[in-house]
Amino acid sequence: METSILNRLNRTSVKYADKVMFKDEHSQITFGEFNALTKSVGTFLARKVPCGAPVAVMSGRHVLTPSCFLGAVRAGCFYAPIDGDMPRTRLNQILGVIKADYMLVDKAHLETAQALDFHGEIIVFEDIRDTEPDEALLEERSATLTLTSPLYVIFTSGSTGVPKGVITSHQSLMCYIDAVAKVLSIDDTDTLGNQSPLDYIAAVRDIYLPISFGANTYIVPKNEFAVPTALFDTLNREKITALCWSVAGVELPAKLGAFDVSKPEYLKKLCFSGSVMPCKYLKIWQEHLPDVLYVNQYGPTEATASCTYYVVKEKVNDDTVLPIGKPYDNYRVMLLNEDNTPTPQGETGEICVSGPILALGYYGNPEQTEKSFMQNPLNDNYRELIYKTGDLGHIGEDGTLYFHGRKDRQIKHLGHRIELGEIEETAKKVDGVLDCCALYHKDKATLYLFYTGEATSKDIVLYFRQNMPAFMVPRKLVNLEALPTLPNGKLDMQALKAQFK
Amino acid sequence: MDELMQILQELRPDVDFEKETALVTNGVLDSFDIVALVGELNDAFDIEIKPNNLVPENFNSAKAMWNLIEKLQDE
Repeated sequence: METSILNRLNRTSVKYADKVMFKDEHSQITFGEFNALTKSVGTFLARKVPCGAPVAVMSGRHVLTPSCFLGAVRAGCFYAPIDGDMPRTRLNQILGVIKADYMLVDKAHLETAQALDFHGEIIVFEDIRDTEPDEALLEERSATLTLTSPLYVIFTSGSTGVPKGVITSHQSLMCYIDAVAKVLSIDDTDTLGNQSPLDYIAAVRDIYLPISFGANTYIVPKNEFAVPTALFDTLNREKITALCWSVAGVELPAKLGAFDVSKPEYLKKLCFSGSVMPCKYLKIWQEHLPDVLYVNQYGPTEATASCTYYVVKEKVNDDTVLPIGKPYDNYRVMLLNEDNTPTPQGETGEICVSGPILALGYYGNPEQTEKSFMQNPLNDNYRELIYKTGDLGHIGEDGTLYFHGRKDRQIKHLGHRIELGEIEETAKKVDGVLDCCALYHKDKATLYLFYTGEATSKDIVLYFRQNMPAFMVPRKLVNLEALPTLPNGKLDMQALKAQFK
Repeated sequence: MDELMQILQELRPDVDFEKETALVTNGVLDSFDIVALVGELNDAFDIEIKPNNLVPENFNSAKAMWNLIEKLQDE
């Protein structure tokens, strides 16, 4: 039985030693070269960092970044990937939660890293990549890992204004990767096209399907998503067979008319997740690529990227509502009512997940962890944790699960998960903002901020641009004399929604 | 041109559209900015921006966007 993801890397790096593993617009790396790099990085880190400690990694969108991640793992540690393009305030918040003593950066991010409130040691990848591997030391470190050791911590929006770090174990990751590979039948003949930023949860497929099964991944340049014809040219030039993209990424080429010019000729499988797929765009994909396997996937980071999947067999129409399907292998899904009783078939309840795919909790945040990961209220006999997703759903007559949105104020925007409360907490820090309410206009995929006070919309947007990731910047700002209230004094969100333009 | 500048300013008040000449090439505007922009320009100027028009050269500066709008209006 495997004890960590390293068992897989050891196997595939021998079997596929000379095969290209990762490729970007400038360079490529084989399985053998990748493995050697992880050993060099791992050896250097193992001499400094204690087992089981976090290593923050800030590295760009290129083939060397995954070797930084796995280098930390070879040292018996886990990694916390962070996106250096995010504003400094955000990066400092994340570093404040993870409290790592070491940060591994590529040379391009050294200056960014030095400007942060980071008091540990910054290690530059280019300086250590040639470290002579110490096999005995690496073996010793690898032996400290178990299936339940943390593999990575990935940050997501938190309603209190501080990002939450979701901790995923080796076991959870491998369960998910095996389950998704089975549904998509991924093997060593597949080439994946990576869309997600490498530090983001959706990239785990693009990194770990190669490590597990010998597939390879092409890291699509970010700019190409703004140039749909170049995007399809790239997919064809690289003979890409499988895409695991956010819904927003799948919509883009369809929205911008890319199919009028060409189509991805080699594509066999397309898996999408992150938000509800508007079927008018999926229809365009189906019309041009009728033989591709389309898979709708649902699930939160806390359940290792996903929970359920639905293979789209039907030809969709503009108004088709896709189910989110059934649980992946090793995932158990149930619906609970507000009072923790089971939701009868056909009725709407909160989607709850259990199984070995549950995250280990939120890093350094036992209160939030206790709240979200709780004993299954239907089980009095043994310890069984469930994660309450905050998502609502019902089981249809066909036995598959349907999604009904959130029970709280969390939204999905451009594939990212955002707490509207966090937008409001941020806006209130701007001078001249007295009160505010953030709302999401789903049909137009636009984030609104209604506010009172003297601040101009420019003041607010500039503050957001300097302090928050781009996807959290409100697009439409509406200045009001007062926020409308209901008779009970609570904010009248419906009245605000009526002002969407 | 004034109307274009107003749309751009509203979309991204943090960007100096008078000066920037590599908006797409340098990643100042991301794919989601472009999608939002294409929709607004189509509506505001009664044009239809086609996938073949979506190349960095047409969106790297306000001037380039204006040239594209004028070209499409003539068609």
